[in-house]
Amino acid sequence: MRLSTSAIALCVGLLVTHGAAAAELPQRWVSAGGALSEWVSALGAQGKLVGVDTTSQHPESLKALPSIGYQRQLSAEGILSLRPQILIGTEEMGPPPVLSQIRSAGVQVELFSAQPDLPTLQNNLLHLGRLLGSEAQATALFDGYQQQLAQQQAWVSQAQTRAKAPGVLLLLGHAGGKPLIAGKDTAADWLLQQAGGRNLATHTGYKPFSVESLAGLMPDVLVFSDRALTGDAAREALFKQNPILASTPAAKAGRVLELDPTLLVGGLGPRLPQSLVKLSAGFYPAESAKATAAQ
Amino acid sequence: MSTLVKPRSLFIGLGLLCVLATWLSLALGPVSLPLLDTLRAALRMLGLPIAGDGLEQAELILGQIRLPRTLLGLAVGGVLALSGVAMQGLFRNPLADPGLVGVSSGAALGAAIAIVGGSLFGGLPEAIGPYLLSICAFLGGLGVTALVYRLGRRNGQTNVATMLLAGIALTALAGSAVGLFTYLADDATLRTLTFWNLGSLNGASYARLWPLLLVTTVVALWLPRRAKALNALLLGESEASHLGINVERLKRELVFCTALGVGAAVAAAGMIGFVGLVVPHLVRLLAGPDHRVLLPASILAGASLLLLADLVARLALAPAELPIGIVTAFIGAPFFLFLLLRGRA
Repeated sequence: MRLSTSAIALCVGLLVTHGAAAAELPQRWVSAGGALSEWVSALGAQGKLVGVDTTSQHPESLKALPSIGYQRQLSAEGILSLRPQILIGTEEMGPPPVLSQIRSAGVQVELFSAQPDLPTLQNNLLHLGRLLGSEAQATALFDGYQQQLAQQQAWVSQAQTRAKAPGVLLLLGHAGGKPLIAGKDTAADWLLQQAGGRNLATHTGYKPFSVESLAGLMPDVLVFSDRALTGDAAREALFKQNPILASTPAAKAGRVLELDPTLLVGGLGPRLPQSLVKLSAGFYPAESAKATAAQ
Repeated sequence: MSTLVKPRSLFIGLGLLCVLATWLSLALGPVSLPLLDTLRAALRMLGLPIAGDGLEQAELILGQIRLPRTLLGLAVGGVLALSGVAMQGLFRNPLADPGLVGVSSGAALGAAIAIVGGSLFGGLPEAIGPYLLSICAFLGGLGVTALVYRLGRRNGQTNVATMLLAGIALTALAGSAVGLFTYLADDATLRTLTFWNLGSLNGASYARLWPLLLVTTVVALWLPRRAKALNALLLGESEASHLGINVERLKRELVFCTALGVGAAVAAAGMIGFVGLVVPHLVRLLAGPDHRVLLPASILAGASLLLLADLVARLALAPAELPIGIVTAFIGAPFFLFLLLRGRA
């Protein structure tokens, strides 16, 4: 019985999405993008999500939802079994034949860009707001976000008038072993720059690095992003697996910062401004101390 | 040599297994359709006059998702197992698998070029974009196999041992090229490449299916005609040619059919290991080494195994999906060990 009603619901969904008015908004959402799921939650619609992909790790409560697997390896029938009315994801979502199967089942498929820049985010947020029927909220959310980033930028440029931008390396690793260094054209590179750091790596993408050349770059600050461990455990593992790191100026001065690796995928997310503030504070400790003292 | 099962009962058993696997593959999935709806939708698609009320969802899932997927599974499983028999017959070595003549590594290289190169060089024409990966994998497999075959030929004779070693060398060479592309790949393409190497029947569509079905049908009709020649080849090359077999032609046909079949299968579903190596052994353990039985029985067994593995792949983690390459080995290997130990006792 449940299924025949769901079949009717599907058909109704089909009619509605094709109707120009689209009076009824989709109520059952499946999200295949970490940052998108976060934004949906930030817009207060977490209750509408009925399934998320493996990159949707925040907020924590999303992990309780059925997992539809990795965003590039979706399964048409698996997603349809959740009886969604809409599937959202970035342009990385796929494979394409599966998406067209899902579309032909009458599910609205909406693609968003994962480009890490503000105009893209604005478009994405407004689009999400329209689909959720909370456009005003989306606009407010974006304005607040933009403001936070602008503040952060102002803080960084001010700090840079008094202190030299530190040379930074970002190490992306798994339990400390064989870290990859983030080079140009990565979300990590963008993050480091926004936080006021100077990425010392000049290659493109995430590449393994010889430890020798790593020490030779003399980073002032090390940022590590560990996929398996967090906090001090990750820090310890990193230095245990790569003892040469201990000889870098960063390690000697104790300037080793942590960054949540989930921030590096799927475009700009809501947790970004806070993380940037934290990174900047680590990059310009003197300025940060002054700011706290002033408060 | 005594066999566990008579050919007649083997064929009946495998035929029933194959029908059962096909039905299960059509009837089960993450979306739980009532059995009656599935049956009615299936009959309706066969053209029977049945009222279609309330069957839209069943018809869609059956017709657009499960049927192409099932057909893909049947074709890929069948052709991989068949190619396995051909290779083991050609090399007269039970360790031979279709990868030995370079078809798998060539396809992997083609896929790496398509996946990583496609993202490196950016935009592709819309028309070939979606098929680029399949086309590159197919051409890569065919190309490397042709090279292996060419290297194995001297003075109009094909030396199987040279071919084997050339296959190993070219596999290593292709492997290093794939490694280079892996190094150049970014995070996302790397994951695509990894998943491709584990294979999947996910996202099967008719447009991708027809070329494979055509190739599979040709290979499945052609190779069993060479059963007697393959039996003769078991005795040795010179013995076979004394028995009046054109050994050179046979070798050429076996290599060509394998390259064509495995190339098309890999292009459609990615790398699926284990089936080509072990299904022929399973059948041999059950029914002995006569190729007249072995060839057709391997098609049925390979197709059934792949469909059952795919069933696990799509149901185990629903609504997510496992790559099928993990499952084929996970189910097949213990079963194979069981038969092996039972045969010894």
